[in-house]
Formats: sequence, structure tokens, C-alpha cells
Amino acid sequence: MRKYFQIFRVSFQQEFSYRLNFIMWRVRNVLQIILTFFLWSSVFRNPQTEVFGYNQEKILTYVFGILVIRAIVFSARAVDVAGEISNGDITNFLLKPVSYFKYWATRDIASKVLNLSFSVVEITLLFLILRPNLFLQVNPVTLFAVFVSLILAVILFFCLLFITNMSAFWMPENGWAAQFLFIVIITDFLSGGVFPLDIMPLALQKVLYSTPFPYLLFFPLQVYLGKIVGVEIIRGLVTSFVWVSILFVAVKYIWARGLRRYSAEGR
Amino acid sequence: MDRAIVVDRLIKNFEVTEKEKGLRGSIKSIFSPKKKTVHALKGISFTIQPGELVGFIGPNGAGKTTTLKTLSGLLYPTGGFVQVLEYDPWEKKPEFLKQISLIMGQKNQLWWDLPAIETFELNKEIYEIPRRDYEKNLEELITLLDVGKLLKTQVRRLSLGQRMRMELVAALLHKPKVLFLDEPTIGLDLIGQQKIREFIYEYNQKNNATIILTSHNMDDLTNLARRVIVIGAGNILFDGALEELTGRFAKEKIIKVSFSKEIDIKKVELVGTVKQVSFPEVTLSVARSTVAVAAAEILQNFPVNDLTIEEVPVEEIIKKVFRGELTK
Repeated sequence: MRKYFQIFRVSFQQEFSYRLNFIMWRVRNVLQIILTFFLWSSVFRNPQTEVFGYNQEKILTYVFGILVIRAIVFSARAVDVAGEISNGDITNFLLKPVSYFKYWATRDIASKVLNLSFSVVEITLLFLILRPNLFLQVNPVTLFAVFVSLILAVILFFCLLFITNMSAFWMPENGWAAQFLFIVIITDFLSGGVFPLDIMPLALQKVLYSTPFPYLLFFPLQVYLGKIVGVEIIRGLVTSFVWVSILFVAVKYIWARGLRRYSAEGR
Repeated sequence: MDRAIVVDRLIKNFEVTEKEKGLRGSIKSIFSPKKKTVHALKGISFTIQPGELVGFIGPNGAGKTTTLKTLSGLLYPTGGFVQVLEYDPWEKKPEFLKQISLIMGQKNQLWWDLPAIETFELNKEIYEIPRRDYEKNLEELITLLDVGKLLKTQVRRLSLGQRMRMELVAALLHKPKVLFLDEPTIGLDLIGQQKIREFIYEYNQKNNATIILTSHNMDDLTNLARRVIVIGAGNILFDGALEELTGRFAKEKIIKVSFSKEIDIKKVELVGTVKQVSFPEVTLSVARSTVAVAAAEILQNFPVNDLTIEEVPVEEIIKKVFRGELTK
């Protein structure tokens, strides 16, 4: 356990050695939120307007909520895995008595803690400046369900990210493209990062709910907003958990296969 | 345990996709990738005793690094048997990994943006080295390698030589019993090389560590390795004492003559290949089988002051090994 604590410490320091990068990343997040805020505020100028079950208050909570949940779920260092595989840096870990998964999970947690603490500060500031009407969930049972769904979301994303990155074992040069497609376009879109998924046709929503993607951002937020209640929460959590189990087995399997392919090139 | 390393008929094949040159080739390779099997190791066998320091030599692409990678558990053998310290390296058991280290001169394990001491501290935890041992080993290593003042410098600001020495510290903090060194002196200046060599020697002596070393640096081999294994195109061509390498592979012998009077060098050339002339000394290279005849001929036909017959220097043979000119 102590080794992973030390990894946490070192990766925290590492994040800080790229201060400018980090600041720019945060600036981008803030700009994005301001942009979305003004967009949706003008669409819902009249507080009585309701579209697809969203009024001004809920859509703004959605926008802010996405900011926070993205910071928790999507901030992950494991995007570097593909690079490590293709340039051979992964060799360093294979030679040491350390679990590569736990190593990256630790680095992810470090990254999440850092991003989340900044997110909280930013949101507080934005909240004070923009003074939006936000929806506050107070039901402790619902909040607990949100918490559980977030933990599942984090594990889900970690597994998805690892699987995508491990493609580098077979296609060392395609790692980056695959990730871009996967994370930036597909995942963000399908998980509700771009717009609420329930404005899509019902049939499409049903299909989506059987994939892992909505459980990354959309589901936890819907639970928070009180738009998913009761049995639906349980069903969502169970589906999410089933996906976690499937992907976990897949990760282990692909890893074992990938290692056999690995030729430690460039070393 | 009487054998630190056992390798028996080890085979390793790689599958590679070939790409034709240019954009057209790239596009073509997406749709119909041309697969080719590279036979990196074609069934090599050897054993190494605990405490031995063995040099691996051979031209680029002969399979030296592939062997080291297989021995340290990075590569999955296509066929054959590998055992290091009685473990199967591929299983990557923590008890095994805690006793070995693979050091490659080309790349590093140090965290680039942080001072080296951070990597050391991290390795202390990863290898679960007790605090007291860690401090003792660190002190010893930084003294031997003379890097005490640089511990708190960001790794990116270190020179190549300094970094290489830090790499050694990081790789040896856990006192590995088996050490694989791949080109440890690559890119270093002469003094840097010397320091690393002395260190390797000392580490081997002090800890009775088993070391395999690959190098393109002649001095590394002649100064360090008693035993060498020559690998060419995936096969072992020679395995034995460094000095025996000459007898085994040199097809020529060297005749050194000192003439008492001026002679016609053209006539000497008829006897053998003239390698060097600094009159009155002339060095000739003559086929092994005819060396006695050639010497007699010289003694008979020329005014000779002194004549010696010598073996080709081991450096010459190693040079040939690197050029891939040796075959079985």
C-alpha cells in the first residue's frame, strides 16, 4: 500500500511541474462553462420555458453538474498508457514488483483530486459571479445513490480508457488517434457531455442505456437532478455494475494477450 | 543453486508488418498488411553461474537485447526454456523482480521532471526496501558513482553521463543479484565510460552479482568480461573465455619483422599482406596454416634482425564480430 501512496505523492508533484499546462487546462474548462452557460441562459430566457422536461434552473444545474462530474470521471492520466506501450516506457513497470493497473489508478486518483479541488474553487467563483438558479438535491438517499454511481463511473471510464489504450500493443502507431476518437468524440457525446441525452428520440435512448456510456456522466447527474428515481436508480446502478464487471474481465484478458505481443521496442 | 541463469533452446520470433515507402505504401499497408516473421533467436542455449560477469557481443540485430529482454521477463519466449534464479521470468513474480535489474543505456526510468532522489524514494517503496538498507545502499552508490551533489537537480538538467550514473543508482538500490546491462556506456565520454566500468566491476566483486553485459564498446568487454558469448543472426557462435576467441576465429596470424637492411617492400608483399610499415619494422598478416612457411621464407630471403609471430589482437576479432563477419 505504501508504494501506491508514494506514487500518489510523486505524480502530484509531476502534475505541478507542468504548471502552465495545468492552468491552461483549467482556463479552458472555465471558458467552456461560461460559454455553455450563456448559450443555455439565452435559450431559456423565460424562466417558465420548459423543453424536454428542463427548465432554466435544471438546465443550468445540468451544465454546472457536467463540469463537476467531468472533473471527477474524465480527468485521468491513463491516457498516457498507449504512449508508454508504443515507445517502450512501459518496460520500466514490467520490470518492477508493482501492479501497472494500480499504478495508473493511483495516478488517476492524484489527477482527480487535483482537478476536483480546482473545480470546486472555480465553480464557487462562477457561482458567485453568475448567480444562477441552481437545483440543490437534499435527499440523503439520492445523494448516496449519486455517490455510488460516481464511483462506478470512475471505474467504468478507467476500464474503457485502458482498453482503448491497450490497442497500442497491436497498433503502436494508432494509439493517439484511437484515443482522440474514443474520448473526445464518442464518449463525451454518448455520455451526455455535449447535451442532455433525454432530448434524443426515445428508441435511441433505450439503446444508449444498454451501453456503458450514459453511466459515465448522464446517469449520475440525472439521479442528482431527481429525474431518475426509485427502481430506475437501482436498474441503472446494476447495469453500470454489470458493465464494470464485463470490462474488468476484458481489461485483464486483453492485457494478458497484449503482453505476449509486446516486443519492448525502442529500448 | 549452482546456476543463476539457464537458457535451453530458446526461440523467439517476432511478427512485423512491412510498409512500403511513401504515402502509397502507407495506404496499401492499411488494407493489406504484409506480415513477416523475424527469427530473432533460433534456439540458443547457455548457462551462467552465480557471480559470473559475461559479455554478449554481436552485430546489431543479432539477438543480444532480445535475449536480455526474455531473461528479464519482458518477452514471451516462442519456444524453449528460460530460468533465472530458479524462477520463470515471464511469471513476473515480485520475489523474482526484486532480485533482478535491467539497465538500458538508451532510455531511462528516472522521472524526467523531478529530481532523481524522488525516483529513488519511489523505488524504495516499490521494492519495499527497509529504510536502513535504503540509506546504506544509497550512500554507497552515490559515493561510488560520485553523484551526491546532484540528487536534488531535476533529471532533465543532468548531463547524459550524470543521468546514466543516476540510472545505475535507481536500478541498484534494491541490490539485485542478477543484472542485465544493455549498452551501459553508450554515448558517454571516455572518463564517463571508465567510471561506469570500474563501478560494474566493483559491484560484481562486492556483491557476487551475476552480470550479463552487452556492449559495442571494445574496452567494456576486454576490461570486464572474462567470458564472452558471441551471437550472430540468432545463433550462438562462440561461448568461452575472451582469450580463446582469437584462436577460434582468427584465420590469420601476425608476423612482425625487423629488418637489418633496406629491402624491397614489394618482395615482402609476395609473402603476406603488409599491414603496417614503419621501417625497419614491418607487420604482416599471414594465413594461419602457412605461417611457418612464410616465416621461414622471410628469414631465408631477407636480412632479418628480429622476427616474432603473434595472434591477431582480440580487438580485431571483436571488430569483425560487430561487422557480422564471423560465421560458424
